[in-house]
Amino acid sequence: MITDDIVLRIEGLTKVYRSLFTPVGVKAVDNLDLSVRRGETYSVVGPNGSGKTTTLKTILGLIFPTAGSTTVFGRSINDLSVRERIGFLPEDAYLYEVFSGEELLDFYAGLFGYSKQRRRELVEELLTLVGMQANRKVPFRECSKGMRQRLALAQALVNDPELLILDEPTSGLDPAGRHQMTRLILEMKRRGKTILLCSHFLAEVEEVCDRVGIMYQGRLIAEGSLRELAGEPTEIVITTTGLQPAAAEQLAARDAVLGVDDGVVRMGHEYGDELWSVLEAIHRGGGHVVEVTRPRPTLQDVFVRAIRGEVPAAAEQASEVIE
Amino acid sequence: MTPQLLFLIGLFIVVVVLTLTRKAWAPAMGHALPSVWRIAKITVAEARRRRVLQAVVVLVVLILVSMTFFAYLSPKEQSRMLINNGLAAITAFGILLSIFVGAFLVPHELESRTVYAILAKPVRRFEFVLGKYLGALIVLAVIIAVMTAVLIGVLMLQDKLVSDLPDSAFDPNIRGVVFASAMSYCAVAVLTALIVLISTISSTTMTIISAFIIWAVGSMQNTINDLASQAEIPATRLLLKMIYVIVPKLQNFDYRNDVANYLPISYLGGLDAIVQGIGYTIVVLILASIFFNDRQV
Repeated sequence: MITDDIVLRIEGLTKVYRSLFTPVGVKAVDNLDLSVRRGETYSVVGPNGSGKTTTLKTILGLIFPTAGSTTVFGRSINDLSVRERIGFLPEDAYLYEVFSGEELLDFYAGLFGYSKQRRRELVEELLTLVGMQANRKVPFRECSKGMRQRLALAQALVNDPELLILDEPTSGLDPAGRHQMTRLILEMKRRGKTILLCSHFLAEVEEVCDRVGIMYQGRLIAEGSLRELAGEPTEIVITTTGLQPAAAEQLAARDAVLGVDDGVVRMGHEYGDELWSVLEAIHRGGGHVVEVTRPRPTLQDVFVRAIRGEVPAAAEQASEVIE
Repeated sequence: MTPQLLFLIGLFIVVVVLTLTRKAWAPAMGHALPSVWRIAKITVAEARRRRVLQAVVVLVVLILVSMTFFAYLSPKEQSRMLINNGLAAITAFGILLSIFVGAFLVPHELESRTVYAILAKPVRRFEFVLGKYLGALIVLAVIIAVMTAVLIGVLMLQDKLVSDLPDSAFDPNIRGVVFASAMSYCAVAVLTALIVLISTISSTTMTIISAFIIWAVGSMQNTINDLASQAEIPATRLLLKMIYVIVPKLQNFDYRNDVANYLPISYLGGLDAIVQGIGYTIVVLILASIFFNDRQV
């Protein structure tokens, strides 16, 4: 259940990477404000290089901000008690190659100071959860990409964390692997965990998240629930069969119709009053109506619109970024 | 006042201060020690599975065993040659291994990004550095112990083979060999700490190059000190003095010649070198922890 309790708060986060060769620096994250509520699944989406991983690494204290602050459970990440409540799945599952899943989970559980008996129980539970019982003895380097990701998720869960931070959890996975990982994330969500997810696979984000933040060139250019970001449906789509070409041409000439293509009639949403008249015209033109839908824009559409500065809440910020 | 006495007084003061302030540090240490131990254990386990280390140990064992074939030497010369070359092999391979193990210890974790999953857990950065160092120390201790055991085995075998000869004067000098090997291990421990420090601020390649230079300089510190005293240009003198102070005096750990030539061993001198080595290692590890704490990973 989502509550108003803020688990993660980022205020004015800016990260500039400087080196000897780039003294001016490269701004990876620019004045980012973001908060995640308890029980929420929040996804940060954006193209490669948009600052998602930098943001996560700053939250975890792996790198240090140039400006701004990050608090988790109201405290600094340097407080060990905070890290006891966090689980982190790094991108590309970087774990020790020479050890098996069983050994790895035992090691990571040991870092939380669990007893041998508790570690044994945990290893069993987690291997079962991620479906790795049969391959428990397989060295990590011999695991398939999907197995590696599932083990990496298991290591992030050894402390039964309240906040789960996942960096590109389905990166490089085949469709079956992506499905398995998505199922596991949904299971974590069902268990009430707060999840911060970074991804550029928009379909998986759509499936699991409550709120989305779209990052582009280091800035958060849009944020909200999918419904808020997508807005109201803009079209009515009528799928037909047997529609005569002449009737299709007549339909396409109407103001209410945006286009007719391969038996699919697209109407402007604002012309909803004319729906019956269009359906009658389809019927007269020899067509049979299969389905009438009012599809919402997908996250992909929202994302493209956001980086063009067309999502209302984000338009002002995005136009600055694009300039 | 001898360095040994100074060490004992210093140790006493440290124990008293730690006892009086235990309420402040005990909870933190209570957390740190298990974490350091876990990271050390995984470092050892990882090294055990690396074939390169196993191959090096096998190579050294073969070298040590092959030295028994110098049967044309007199028994006395044989024992001298076996001890000298055996200890040289142990020291050289110990140092080489310490350079390669030490140089990859932290950078490997950064490059393979395995450090992410660890530092995201309740592990402080200094615990990570100390854990890695302790793990390397255990690995190097086992390797040097194995090499020493093989050398002792070779010496005892040779002793048995030549004992029937009429004027056999073969002396395996086991106690001396063990002492010299232990001192080599101390040199390796000091050098590894310094390598870990360098690796926290530079790349693996730079660390390896620096480690070889430090080894070379550290092995001729007495010469550098002499040169510093004789230098006429103040800047050169200052530079040489700085090198003498900063670089560990690895030469002080070298007892190979004394043992091979059956000279009396100065155990107090050894203790002196160990005390200095411990102090040096502590300072270096504190610096390594500070640098790694500020490093972006």
